[in-house]
Amino acid sequence: MLDVHQKGRAAVSSGTREAVEHDVARLHAKGLWATLQQD
Amino acid sequence: MRFKRRRTGAVTADLDTGEAGLLAALAEDLLGLLGDGAAADEDPLAAMVGLSSGPVAAPQDPALARLLPDAYADDDAAAAEFRRFTEQDLREGKRTGAGTVLATLAPLLGRGGRLALDRDQVDAWLGTLNDLRLVLGTRLEVTEDTPLEVPDDDPHAQALLVYGWLGWLQESLLSCVEPRPGGQGQPR
Repeated sequence: MLDVHQKGRAAVSSGTREAVEHDVARLHAKGLWATLQQD
Repeated sequence: MRFKRRRTGAVTADLDTGEAGLLAALAEDLLGLLGDGAAADEDPLAAMVGLSSGPVAAPQDPALARLLPDAYADDDAAAAEFRRFTEQDLREGKRTGAGTVLATLAPLLGRGGRLALDRDQVDAWLGTLNDLRLVLGTRLEVTEDTPLEVPDDDPHAQALLVYGWLGWLQESLLSCVEPRPGGQGQPR
């Protein structure tokens, strides 16, 4: 949360692509600007 | 207008005519912006088996694109694929929320009165207030440094006032609710 506040972004979830896509969809439903990337 | 939590658990707010009318107009605009989401080139076979074949390109309108963002910042193919399977639901969820806001405001139009919301309606209101702020903020190109108080003759003065008011309402409503038991909103 502090990262979001200070840098404007933060990693909030990691895991399999399917699981993270699910999280991203939920964050979008809450109006959050979530993106995902492969490390 | 300020949201209050009653002992019964309901959340209420007293709205004057202007407040009810403004919020309803904003929610109507949001519904219009979201559209009905029906893709013109819908694949009938996919629809028949319940597979949505939604749009694949991000909306051109920056405000709508903010409501329905790309999931992959640097992978267009993956972003399109994600959008194809999620955008309809996302749109529909937002439309449902705005519809709840309108339905709860309907009895107050033209005369004001007391709004009383149950827990699900509070969630719909929180989501819609947030969406409205995102749309207005995108249109006004609001950043952290944007002053919300500007001279009256500024062309954005009125809109910034509404933007600030929506944020204040959001905070007032949020202060009335406790997290749901079990943390429904928690990412895993």
